[in-house]
Amino acid sequence: MSMKPTITRRALLGTGAAAATLTLATPGLLRASSFPERNFSVYIPTAEGGGADRNFRAFSSVWKTRLGVEFEPSFYPGASGRVGYEIYMGKAEPDAYNLLFGNIGPEVLNWAMQAPSFDINDYIYFGQVDKDPCCLFVGAESPLKTMDDIIAAAKTRKLNVGTSRMAHPASIGLLALGDKLGLEFNLIPLQGGKGTVAGAVTGEVDFSVLTSGSVIAAGDAVKTLLVFGNNIVGEALDNAPSINDAYDMDLPEMLSTRAFGIHKKAVDDYPDRFEVLTRTFKETHEDPALMEAYIASKGQPEYLVYAGVEECEAEKAAMLELGARYKSLLSGA
Amino acid sequence: MDSSTASILTEVFFETLGYWYIIIPTIFLGLIVGGIPGFSAANTIIILMPLTLALDLQSGLVFMISLYCAARMGAGIPAILVNIPGTAGAAATPLDGYPMAKQGKGQQALAISFVASCIGGLLTTIIALAAMPILARVGFYMHSVEMIVVMLFGISLIASIAAQDMVKGLIAGFLGLMIGSIGTDVVYATPRGTFGFLELYDGVPLIPALVGLFAVSEAFVIIEKRVIVNHDGEPKAPNWGDTFEGVKIALSRWVHIVWTSIIGLVIGVIPGAGASIASFVAYQQSRSFSKTPEKYGTGHPEGLIAPESANNGVTSGTLVPLLVLGIPGGATAAIMLVVMQFHGVSFGPSLFENQPTVGYGMFMAMAVSYVFMFLTILPLSRYMSHVTTIPTIYLAPMIISFTLVGGFVPREYMFDMYLALAFGVLGYIARRTGYHVAAILIGVILGPLLEKYFLWSLKKSDGDIMVLFSSTLGNILWVAFALSIILPMVFSMRRKRKLEVPAE
Repeated sequence: MSMKPTITRRALLGTGAAAATLTLATPGLLRASSFPERNFSVYIPTAEGGGADRNFRAFSSVWKTRLGVEFEPSFYPGASGRVGYEIYMGKAEPDAYNLLFGNIGPEVLNWAMQAPSFDINDYIYFGQVDKDPCCLFVGAESPLKTMDDIIAAAKTRKLNVGTSRMAHPASIGLLALGDKLGLEFNLIPLQGGKGTVAGAVTGEVDFSVLTSGSVIAAGDAVKTLLVFGNNIVGEALDNAPSINDAYDMDLPEMLSTRAFGIHKKAVDDYPDRFEVLTRTFKETHEDPALMEAYIASKGQPEYLVYAGVEECEAEKAAMLELGARYKSLLSGA
Repeated sequence: MDSSTASILTEVFFETLGYWYIIIPTIFLGLIVGGIPGFSAANTIIILMPLTLALDLQSGLVFMISLYCAARMGAGIPAILVNIPGTAGAAATPLDGYPMAKQGKGQQALAISFVASCIGGLLTTIIALAAMPILARVGFYMHSVEMIVVMLFGISLIASIAAQDMVKGLIAGFLGLMIGSIGTDVVYATPRGTFGFLELYDGVPLIPALVGLFAVSEAFVIIEKRVIVNHDGEPKAPNWGDTFEGVKIALSRWVHIVWTSIIGLVIGVIPGAGASIASFVAYQQSRSFSKTPEKYGTGHPEGLIAPESANNGVTSGTLVPLLVLGIPGGATAAIMLVVMQFHGVSFGPSLFENQPTVGYGMFMAMAVSYVFMFLTILPLSRYMSHVTTIPTIYLAPMIISFTLVGGFVPREYMFDMYLALAFGVLGYIARRTGYHVAAILIGVILGPLLEKYFLWSLKKSDGDIMVLFSSTLGNILWVAFALSIILPMVFSMRRKRKLEVPAE
């Protein structure tokens, strides 16, 4: 019996519909195996509206164009950044979709003062957005106009110095200066960059120390007198000299390094995802659009410098060592 | 003011009026987000940041300012009608606003609040514009020592509340201060009283405490009644007469509006100080110098005018340090700074030289927003007051669910919802046993601020307590503080003595 191949109208429509569905679904199926499939959640351990917020928005505005998804920030200020890290390590799923955006300098110093509830090796910083040295500055109307004025005044009384938080590279820079010159300074933690600038401008403190990026953003309301590192931006920091040049010191650079971090477990479990993140992060740094966005957000072009996992981890280790050395002075212990 | 400045102001004013199509919808958006606990102008601007950044500078500026003003006013609406202050800045509003609503005067209370807010906001905007260079100097004199005294002005309200029952009032106040001390200390970030909860490291979050103590506890109380309005207060059909009566009451107390809004303005220009401090200090001052202090807390219009004028005065005040010094006075101003910097605006002393239309434009946007708010919102009081006549079997669950969501929103922690419930139970017990929840709340809100300024002062003086009396302005404030405590007592005694003298 010969079977005559026939196709009914119903079968034709059914086959057509299946083929159409498969065709339409193909990109989706392919997408399902790609990364990223959804938006990233970024945990920021400081308040919105500050320097971290500015930098994050500038960088992610360009990075997202390479990844095709958004970066959704959540701000968790409190306890000198400790809250944000604890929430990230304790509650965020280690799946490479949850990232951290922190400041290696002051935030790692925290761990030297008081260990967190998690193992600090359970997260890594994988990409540096920018790096700026800390500096010493006065309010535009301060009677202290030069470093000589500060030194002369410090010989007559203990000067009050605003800092973002006790455990901060800028605080260490100041303490090192005090050691060198035989002067004592009284550090007043003014809870964040905005408060530290305000303290110097309004005279709440005699002067302040802070990351230079935030000081530059404060404009002509402040004047920088000394940089705890190299002044690579010249006039933007009022041509202030480096502490090592001015006082014949050998202090390592006191840096504020804003970087993205990730769970170590996510790196181990999803190496392919981590590769996408690190590769696109580096590509973003090479994109001229990033420089435009960074300058638009009041960033200094010289500070926008790429660094990868190794450099970031080296800095993390250096901060832990520095923190251990100055622990007694910074923790009140 | 020279002729060029006057011409810039005129030009900017008319230009801002042309943005009515942004201002009016934003006012309604602001009222909604201000009225929902947990939402605020700050987090709304953050949520809508992509939109704000996409707009041109002037449109973005007008949008943010209108939202800021409207949200401030919106926070007072649920505070008055259902005892839910939408933000910490409205925490003093229900003290007299809600009793008015319970007496069936919700519509008048809303009208009073709107008039006080609009006039207070508009007036302080004009003062800020005219006296910007002088106001910008306030922050140069108000340091931590002086701020301690300002805090004490607000905290002394506990004693006023305690006057009805001194022991219970003081217990409630101290409990609030103790709760306020939970969290990490401001110097070394050492956790205290957190019971191991990470969620408490940054202190007791204000919104869950606020909605718990006021709203959730109130929901537990009103469920025992049929409607919010008391049996002796008639829930009547809304009418224009009540709105006009509210307007009349507020306008007849214009001196009070002026005085308390200036308190808000002065506190607003101090970086870091906020609307919560201003509204409590204004309420305390208003009560201290009132001829009828005993009426405060019972639905007294002046007790409603003071915090509402003051917190709107703060709104214009926070712009001064932002524009003149480049220092944001509060959270919303800080976010505005980010947006404006994205558009290439440099704040600080040079702003009015380089981009005067931006600087003046922000104040003009504020002034125009207040004018539009007055015209658009006032008629709505007639309809909003309907809320107080909704049967409590529907209203109470709505309040509880609404406020728990509000408790969750700012930080998105489930913990905060449980905390709001816990504060609700605490508030309910306090109400049922005659302890005043406002006294607890003042401690929770102002306690951490007092501690911060106190520790900074001590740190600056190496622990010398005499630092509290080390500044001239501080000492003047101490005297004023002492007078504000003593004089009302003297006046009160005099009045009593007069009453005791039989009429001849």
